[in-house]
Formats: sequence, C-alpha cells, structure tokens
Amino acid sequence: MTKGVKLLITVVAVLFIGSIIWVILSHRASESTYVEIVQNNKVIYTFDLSKEKDRTFRIEDNNGGWNEIKIENGRISISDADCPDHTCVKTGVLKSETMPIVCLPHKLVIRFSEKEQS
Amino acid sequence: MKTKRLAELALLTAVALIIFIIELRIPNLVAIPGVKLGLANIITVYAVYKYSAKEVAMVVFSRVLLGSIFGGNISAIIYSMAGAVMCLIGMLAVKRIVPVNYIWLSSIIGAILHNTGQIIIAIIIMRSFAVMYHYPYLIISGCIAGAFTGICAQLLIKRVFASKSS
Repeated sequence: MTKGVKLLITVVAVLFIGSIIWVILSHRASESTYVEIVQNNKVIYTFDLSKEKDRTFRIEDNNGGWNEIKIENGRISISDADCPDHTCVKTGVLKSETMPIVCLPHKLVIRFSEKEQS
Repeated sequence: MKTKRLAELALLTAVALIIFIIELRIPNLVAIPGVKLGLANIITVYAVYKYSAKEVAMVVFSRVLLGSIFGGNISAIIYSMAGAVMCLIGMLAVKRIVPVNYIWLSSIIGAILHNTGQIIIAIIIMRSFAVMYHYPYLIISGCIAGAFTGICAQLLIKRVFASKSS
C-alpha cells in the first residue's frame, strides 16, 4: 500500500463517515408548517400547512410539463407528474427540512420555509 | 491491430449499453435523484485500466449518448454527461497512483465524482442550492455502489489478465 493509496482511502473514508453523520444529524422532522414551492428559483407559492384545506392542484412549467401537488391533513406531497422518472412522486410526503421534494425535469422544489412570509 | 482494437472497444460499448438498459428496469430503492447502482461503470472501470485515456473516453461517451437515446430519457443526458466527464477525469488521474489491487478505491472515487458532476449541473440548471441537500446521500450511495462495481471490475480484470498470460 503506497502513500497515495493510503491518502485516498483516508479522504474517501472521511467523506463517507462525514456524510453519514450529516445525514443522521439532519434527519429530524421539521416543526415548521410553512412550506414554499419554488420553480426556476422563484417562490411561486407559500402555504401554512396547518391552515390549508385538503386539495390537489397542478403546477405547470414553461414547457408544458406538470406536477400535481396534494395537500392532505396538513401534509404536502406530489401525487403525480408527467416526468419520466417520477422521483418527486416517490419521495412522498415532505417531512424534513434538509430533504426537499425535488423535481429535476421541471425545476421544481418544495421545501419548508423559515417562517411566515405573508 | 487497429481494427481489432476498434472491435474490442465497440464490443465493450455494446456490453456497457446492455448492462445500462437492463439496469433501467430495476426499480430505484431510494427516492433521491441520482441514486443508482451504475452497473455499466464496471465496463468503465475495466476500460480505464486496460485502454488509453482516449479509447476509454470514446467508449464512455458513446455509451452515455446511446444510453440516453435508448433509455428514453434524453433530457437527462446533460446530467449523465457531466457525471461521466467528472468520473473519467478523476479515474484517469487516480489510475497513476492506485494499483490494480485497489481498483475498488478508484471506482469509489469515480462514483463520488460522478455524483458531484451531477449535483453541479443540477445547481446550475435549477439555479438553486436546494439539491445540495441530496449531496451527502449521494456520497454514501456513491461509496457503496462504487465499491460494488469496483470489486466486480477487479474480478473481471484479474480473470481477463490471467487468461491472456496463460
């Protein structure tokens, strides 16, 4: 085992362990009920989930793609989308502050916001 | 000799493409964009240790291009391409210091760099740092997937080299 290999193993191990610690530390449910929906880096909606009624609605992007957002019992999720991978649908309900719902094809992000804005 | 070389590279590309397309049929375990096994990279790792930089680049780029077309997800090609470029540069650089017995290591580094490239492109395209939150998850999955593909490539290379020398 040469010096270079040892160094690289150390770097990889530090990255790996660091990421695991980061994930564990950050995996807490959010206490905030304020959620914002961001598209193309612009905030297009903000909600207080504790006051929202149950409903579903569509958000369309500039190229005709859409995501169907579902609010139910104060929880928000993407219930359907016309993108090929459906990663955003599989993500499920928004739970953690560090883990937003992301739809890469439609440049859409749903995340908890700091506090009420309007 | 040159024709034989070309045929070998074409064969490798075809094998990588087949692995890639079969892997598309395996459902994702985790709902994080970018997390996957990357079995086609067994071929990349193998090629990095067996062929010159130019030849590996040819194999990888044609695999990514054809894979995006056959996979039916051309919009994702920019992510795959960015990942492939980063991965290739990293592995070719690391190849000088990492001997054949530690291929799994250079494969892990390749996987991490692959995910790094994808995250950078995602940040540029979405003009938002929200996707950065996925990065630690991608590093963990990259380490596991990279180690797996690396070990596969290592077994492959040992067998091929052994059968060549005998």
